[in-house]
Amino acid sequence: MTGDRVLIGHGSGGKLYRDLVRDVFVAAFANPVLERLDDAAALASPGGRIALTTDAHVVQPLEFPGGDIGRLSVSGTVNDLATAAARPLALAAAFIIEEGFLLADLRRLCASMARTAEEACVPIVTGDTKVVQRGLADGLYITTTGVGEIVVDHDVSAAAVREGDAVLLSGSIGDHSAAVLAARGEFHFDLALQSDCAPLWSLVEGALAAGGTAVRFLRDPTRGGLTSVLAELAESADLGVEIEEEAVPVSPPVRALCELLGYDPFVLANEGKMVLVVGPEKADEVLAALRRHPLGAQAARIGAVTSAHPRRVALRTAFGTRRVLDMPIGELLPRIC
Amino acid sequence: MCLAIPMRITAIDGKMATIELDGLSQRTSIMLLPSAEIGDYVLVHAGCAITVLSEQDAQETLDLLAEIGAFQAELDSEDERGD
Amino acid sequence: MTEKDRQAAAQVPRLAAALAEAAGNRSFTFMEVCGTHTMAIARYGLRQLLPPGIRLVSGPGCPVCVTAMPDLDTVVAMARLPEVTLCTFGDLVRVPASHTTLAVERAAGADVRVVYSALDAVQIAADEPRRQVVFAGIGFETTAPTIAAALLTAWEQGVVNFSVLSMHKTMPAPLRALLDAGETQISGFILPGHVSVITGSDVFNFLVDDYGVGGVVAGFGPQDVLGALLALVRQQRPQISIEYTRAVTSQGNRVAQQIIAQVFEPCDAEWRGLGMIPESGLRLSPAYAGFDARTRFAVDPGEPREPAGCRCGEVLRGLVDPPECALFGSNCTPEEPIGACMVSSEGSCAAYYRYQDLEG
Repeated sequence: MTGDRVLIGHGSGGKLYRDLVRDVFVAAFANPVLERLDDAAALASPGGRIALTTDAHVVQPLEFPGGDIGRLSVSGTVNDLATAAARPLALAAAFIIEEGFLLADLRRLCASMARTAEEACVPIVTGDTKVVQRGLADGLYITTTGVGEIVVDHDVSAAAVREGDAVLLSGSIGDHSAAVLAARGEFHFDLALQSDCAPLWSLVEGALAAGGTAVRFLRDPTRGGLTSVLAELAESADLGVEIEEEAVPVSPPVRALCELLGYDPFVLANEGKMVLVVGPEKADEVLAALRRHPLGAQAARIGAVTSAHPRRVALRTAFGTRRVLDMPIGELLPRIC
Repeated sequence: MCLAIPMRITAIDGKMATIELDGLSQRTSIMLLPSAEIGDYVLVHAGCAITVLSEQDAQETLDLLAEIGAFQAELDSEDERGD
Repeated sequence: MTEKDRQAAAQVPRLAAALAEAAGNRSFTFMEVCGTHTMAIARYGLRQLLPPGIRLVSGPGCPVCVTAMPDLDTVVAMARLPEVTLCTFGDLVRVPASHTTLAVERAAGADVRVVYSALDAVQIAADEPRRQVVFAGIGFETTAPTIAAALLTAWEQGVVNFSVLSMHKTMPAPLRALLDAGETQISGFILPGHVSVITGSDVFNFLVDDYGVGGVVAGFGPQDVLGALLALVRQQRPQISIEYTRAVTSQGNRVAQQIIAQVFEPCDAEWRGLGMIPESGLRLSPAYAGFDARTRFAVDPGEPREPAGCRCGEVLRGLVDPPECALFGSNCTPEEPIGACMVSSEGSCAAYYRYQDLEG
């Protein structure tokens, strides 16, 4: 290896490139399919329906309490597959690396990807690397694409949702955004909190086992938070959603941060949480299954689907009053007012 | 306007204080509150502590409100009894 | 919920009942003049707990909403200067100026940075001596002393590449203007909790002395607002009292007042919707004039353009409720705001939009 940094030459497809792939990526992700170094990985067909998803990851800073861009890139794609009730079969990873990036950092992030992939029982079977000039790519961008095997026969989507279905949430919201914001240092605060970044397939698998065809809809509240997921659900299902504010778990540091900066915890991003809509007959069982799983210990029933106010999400406060939850606008901005 | 939250002072160094609430910690200016002491709960707005909160008063306010509620309920029942 | 929150929540139904009882069949129009109160009322759905006789209107309490278009255009013009790093509170980023917003300008290459505190802007200036850091100063008496503190810090530390565009305004004057205009019958005021932390409640005594209108300084929890309304309804005669006793006194924060007086001086100011109000603004005092962005940078904000059909001015005067504006909810929404009352999360229109009748 030449020096301790990624060079433009590493992206140019020749020997340097092959060295990088072998010494960093294959070394980290070690599996028989990847080691063939084919441009396209040949996989056995599962025989049923497959799910396909892709995600670009551009987080700053690259490493934050509870995770890093590597863990994020694997978790995000595994979780997207999980929302389709799909067991992850294989991941592909494309890296855009800034010239000058430290190889030691790259190795550490790949090790994190490898650990996360192992947690999720999914191999990273192929990939691509480009190197761009110093000043671009903010260090590193990772795009992961995942293919999964759908393990249920019934439709898991907004179309399956019915009036009376229970809305479950697998745990506290806002942790990821809060941890990344703290790590970014723009507003100079410290938080005794970590990102919740984690792959959720085994959590979802347990929920599907407990709920069967009663599991109607799955979505992870990433950018745009819980409110986005619920607002989209209400619109797609052409039904209303009613949430009990007090039932939604928010950890004290997140609450304090939101009070300080004027954020709404319901629109903050999460990278290790799942929203599940479940038929009422199985809601308790699914909730119990979530709570048995280490990543679902704080799972809660937060509301229900209703025929009242279709396409709108209502929040019931602790005082019995109600307000509308609208799709968040865009950029998260702190307020002083 | 004015988002301000109560946070507790855990350290003071010159014109700055370290403040804490529920696992959130920050540095804030005490230029507007030079008499602030470690252990004080202060209201923090836009990076400055603006007042020390009186815990005593906080409790009194709650008690007073509860009294008003109770007093009103008494009045109601008196009315009903025709006193 | 914290224990305190729980206790507060427990008070709410009792307070609501006491309020209905105390109000009886009388009618009241109470005005709150603090954007954070507007937010709290919307957030907790407090209007749903009020008896039918009590009408709550929002006054000019949102500093973003009352910033006049020429000032907004000046902020934009300064942000466009290549040497300028425009530091601002997040509240201003999406506000529509005559032709653009700071968010749009940033995308076009302007160096716009969001800060939580003016002191952070001073630090940016210290860290980047080649940049001219301009701080967009909005806010009332709660915020003005924090900008004053930042200016004093810049002065002490010799951070000369820092300046302030002061658009600060002070609270008592617009209330006077509103009452003088006599457009709405106001039964009493819910007075701003955190402005009063700084000013003290005595500055509002003129409401009783000159206009015979009472007010209660309220905190920001649901029990605080309801408690203040209850106190207002039960006033036998107009008076100024404090519900938020844990934070507010009659005299206020003397140190903060002194720092404001040291760094700023009163000036006439234009309020969106209310026009020019004498002595209602703050500009840098002569001793600190060197930090005045208005004199350091000669910019031409251009002709201000008020959006057609926008009734923010009337909303700010409590004359109309947001739904009465033809643009409300159709052309003017939180996603595509036309006026400041919609873009600011504590503007009356945004608050109304979020709290909408769900029974429809």
